[in-house]
Amino acid sequence: MFKKNPFISNLLWVLICVISSSTFAQSDYRNHSEITKKLKDIQSKNASNVKLKSITKTIGGYDIWGLTLFKGDHKNKPAIAIVGGVEGSLLLSSEMAVNIAENILRDHQEILEHTTFYIFPNMSPNASEQYFAALKYHKKGNANQTDDDRDGNLNEDPYEDLNQDGLITMLRVEDITGDYVKLKEDERIMVKADKQEGEMGAYKIYTEGIDNDKDGAYNEDGKGGVNFNKNLTYNYPYFKPGAGEHAVSEKEHRALLDYLYEQWNIYAILTLGPTNNLSTPLKYNASAAKKRVVTSVLKEDESLNKFLSKKYIKITGTKDAPTATGKGGGFFEWSYFHFGKLSMSTPGWWAPKFKGDSINKAPKNRQANFLKWAEQENIPNYFVDWTVINHPDFPNKKVEVGGIAPYVMSNPPYKMVDSISLKHTEFIIDISKMQASITLQNLKTEVVNKELTRITVDVHNQGYLPTHTEMGKRSRWLRRIKVALKLKDNQEIVSGRKIQLLNSIDGDSSEQITWLIKGKGSVEIEAGAAHTGTDSATINLK
Amino acid sequence: MKSHKYILQIVLLSLIFPLALHAQKSSEIFRAAGSPHNPKVQISFNKYYTSEGLATLSKKIADAYPDLVRRESIGKSSEGRDIWMMAITNYKVGNADDKPGFYVDGNIHSNEIQGGEICMYTAWYLTENFGDMAYITEMLNDRVFYIVPTINPDARNDYMKEANTAHSPRAGMIALDDDRDGLFDEDGYEDLDGDGSITRMRRKNPNGNMIVDPKDPRVMIQIGPDDIVTAQRYELLGSEGIDNDGDGRINEDTHGYYDPNRDWGWKWQPDYIQRGAYKYPFSAPETRAVADFALKHPNIAGAQSFHNSGGMILRGPGAEEDISTYNRQDIQIYDAIGKKGEKIIPGYRYMTVYKDLYSVFGGELDWFYASRGAYTFTNEIFTAFAYYKDKNGGRDQQYSFEKDLLMGDAFTPWKSFNHPTYGEIEIGGFKKNFGRATPGFLLEEEAHRNMAFTFYHAYHMPHLSVSSVNEKKLGNGLIEVTAYIKNDRLMPTHASQDLKYKITRPDYISIKGAKVIAGMIVMDEDFGVTQEQKVSPEKIVLKNIPGNSVVKVRWIIKGSSNYTITVDSEKGGIATSK
Repeated sequence: MFKKNPFISNLLWVLICVISSSTFAQSDYRNHSEITKKLKDIQSKNASNVKLKSITKTIGGYDIWGLTLFKGDHKNKPAIAIVGGVEGSLLLSSEMAVNIAENILRDHQEILEHTTFYIFPNMSPNASEQYFAALKYHKKGNANQTDDDRDGNLNEDPYEDLNQDGLITMLRVEDITGDYVKLKEDERIMVKADKQEGEMGAYKIYTEGIDNDKDGAYNEDGKGGVNFNKNLTYNYPYFKPGAGEHAVSEKEHRALLDYLYEQWNIYAILTLGPTNNLSTPLKYNASAAKKRVVTSVLKEDESLNKFLSKKYIKITGTKDAPTATGKGGGFFEWSYFHFGKLSMSTPGWWAPKFKGDSINKAPKNRQANFLKWAEQENIPNYFVDWTVINHPDFPNKKVEVGGIAPYVMSNPPYKMVDSISLKHTEFIIDISKMQASITLQNLKTEVVNKELTRITVDVHNQGYLPTHTEMGKRSRWLRRIKVALKLKDNQEIVSGRKIQLLNSIDGDSSEQITWLIKGKGSVEIEAGAAHTGTDSATINLK
Repeated sequence: MKSHKYILQIVLLSLIFPLALHAQKSSEIFRAAGSPHNPKVQISFNKYYTSEGLATLSKKIADAYPDLVRRESIGKSSEGRDIWMMAITNYKVGNADDKPGFYVDGNIHSNEIQGGEICMYTAWYLTENFGDMAYITEMLNDRVFYIVPTINPDARNDYMKEANTAHSPRAGMIALDDDRDGLFDEDGYEDLDGDGSITRMRRKNPNGNMIVDPKDPRVMIQIGPDDIVTAQRYELLGSEGIDNDGDGRINEDTHGYYDPNRDWGWKWQPDYIQRGAYKYPFSAPETRAVADFALKHPNIAGAQSFHNSGGMILRGPGAEEDISTYNRQDIQIYDAIGKKGEKIIPGYRYMTVYKDLYSVFGGELDWFYASRGAYTFTNEIFTAFAYYKDKNGGRDQQYSFEKDLLMGDAFTPWKSFNHPTYGEIEIGGFKKNFGRATPGFLLEEEAHRNMAFTFYHAYHMPHLSVSSVNEKKLGNGLIEVTAYIKNDRLMPTHASQDLKYKITRPDYISIKGAKVIAGMIVMDEDFGVTQEQKVSPEKIVLKNIPGNSVVKVRWIIKGSSNYTITVDSEKGGIATSK
């Protein structure tokens, strides 16, 4: 036994704190300025392989960062774009984007020899900052002023933190005219009464707040803003809260799209967002695919998606993903339906299933299941217990505040972020290894007679992936594969074309091209496009 | 003394407005009905003006009528030209942007130039007739016109000054890669014969399927399968040009191609669905400028854009997929105005884009209507009817018209040329200012008729007044006040699309200067059916004031009856009880 010395024990604590902070024990999600600092750090440590650019400043005053990972002539190497923060409440996505960049630079530098990466960690900085604010709720919009209920008044009915716990959760009001009941499996969860089962409603539920404008709706017009993932052109949700006055109305949307439209080398886009086509591939629907306004993945792309999904599940070891299809105006949907690229999207994480056993049964309801899992994992403060309050709009009624805390169901405990990022890095590296790559193969020259030479070559895609998705073949934003013969003045094409454009070449496939040339000297053949890579060969005419 | 002062004024005026020198003494002029006879600003409407020409004219009008015109640039084109807008109203009455607004533009398609002159004619007509014609005076007291003669100044100039056909360019000047070969606008037209127009190329060919009309050397006739032909045969080789990039094709990547009228934010679709779409809604700076302006002016209740050609008065929807957007109530209003237009502009037909023309996703008229709630038409200026004022005429009359009425000014006779790919060829054909652009002597009439149509349209924007107020004593110092709010024009304050999506805020009817106990909307006056507004009864919120109707609101007030009642509507303007 030694005597407790308060001075020494205090000193020990100070030392522990100093050491742990200097050895970088990040314990929670990083805010915009911390992410910015990290990006600058990545850039300065890898100056020859990284460009960092603010593509715009949002009206809220945040930079939208674009990080380019490259080696040499980055514009002419096939590229993958990775976009995070398409939904502000998914903090994981920005972390993943930054970590993937770091992982590539640390562990996979060689991949930059043949692939360029354009990484945009956070498209919704104004929204994601809400996580770090005194009052936490799932904010999705930017700082634009929006009249969310379109009644002519601005921000007249925001949330109120009635129980003053710093979180916006739910209200339940005991009222036999209500449609809600407590879930039998877990009475903390409120669900609609199941009339088929003979249930009768006993509660009304609202989001936490008061009806400031007395219009009968709760918190329908706070500081809404335009939601990044609701403001793109595919199936745009006109006049819906968060959608903006028209598609692509905001600075960050225009800046990102203008940037992407100019990078002709992009063949794939990985969206880190709510939609998940990597766990559950998109399904082909013949009638929707054949309509003029296409609303189904195309047939060939369906098989491609299935293939990518298999890879994803295997590499990341993920399972039990909830089905997550896109809503209107989403970025992932734009990247496929309107941009025609190889499009992938995943939230990166979802609460794993609580398996249960014969005593502690697994609830069927997803929220109830989450609560069991959170309990098992010792997640702190995942639920706000229902507590009675006095509510000015409901005098003489029993009103309680409570519910699942914001953010916890869609963002994992921070300690899991690194391993999630590593697995997704592995996945994206695997994709880049399969990318289309145009090469010239089986080059053959035949002397037809003294004057004429026949040249034959296979334009070969030696990647596993096709040069164009089926949608990409239709899109003006993916170039055709250009095969050009560069002649000198004393040479002439007798048969064949000087320039020809090939619509696409499937993975591990080729197209044979032949020319008949008159003349002597050397001739150069070049084939490819920015997003497939380019190969060239020189032939000496005998 | 007085005459000295007068002379001095004239001298000063002629220094400030050199054009005023051209104004003739009124004693030398006899007014032709319906036209300003001695205008301050002299403009001849038998010619076309470049973008700079239009900018000069709008400045002259604005300078001559400072109390009627505010001229402002609503944005810059892709090449940096200002997009000039004239906001025309009587600035001495009311607040301009609170009045029901009527938006007019022209020239969204570069080669469809007449809109520039029709807009200019409209601005000129409004300003020169204000004070002389009661109809115009009242129009400018009640309404504001936002007139943008060209929303495509770069490519308007390109059409006029560079090598083009009557159909080019349609796009703006942002270079795009039409053939997806990695090069931008690398193979455009060439004016090989130097006549200022891109005409056609033909080549003698014993196996060709065309001959020259023996009765008219300008005309090429197709040979039928049973024809026995001894004349020289020709083949047609397309528009004037060469293969600039050596890919074996001629003129396959000319300026553009994107279509500014596929760049609007209603039901926008990408290029593979809607040819001509650019990157996203309002990705061209010119359309973006208009959209930003319109978004800041919810008072715009009617809109008009001018295109060419074909003699059409078009309404949406642009696409069959969008039929449900246009419902019956609104179509009735479109029909009433459109059918009037057919009468005002003989030879024009009132049509619906998707079923009578072709499909358009992302067009201007759909955006103004469906996204902004403004009733909007597009007119396709000029029709073959104009050649001989004959409905059965058709396009084949253009050769005789060109000879009979244009004295041969619009055709470049065929001439031989040595082409780098085709060898000996001939070049000739109609010049670019013929076929779509209205010939000079018809231009003023066409401008006037189209303007008259837009006036009819603008007249029928909502027109609100507090037409009467009734009081009834209820005892105990309570008074029941009933206000009758009248809209005496065709359009409601909210189109049905506007009502459905709450595009513009509701109308407010407020009472000031009274202690309000309760407020309500009167649903049925005779049976006393009302709908009470519990919150803020002094400002009654009305979803809509329909066209040609009276709505009634009621307050119970206490004490004094010294109050004013104001109706405030974004698209219907502001009116106060007297």
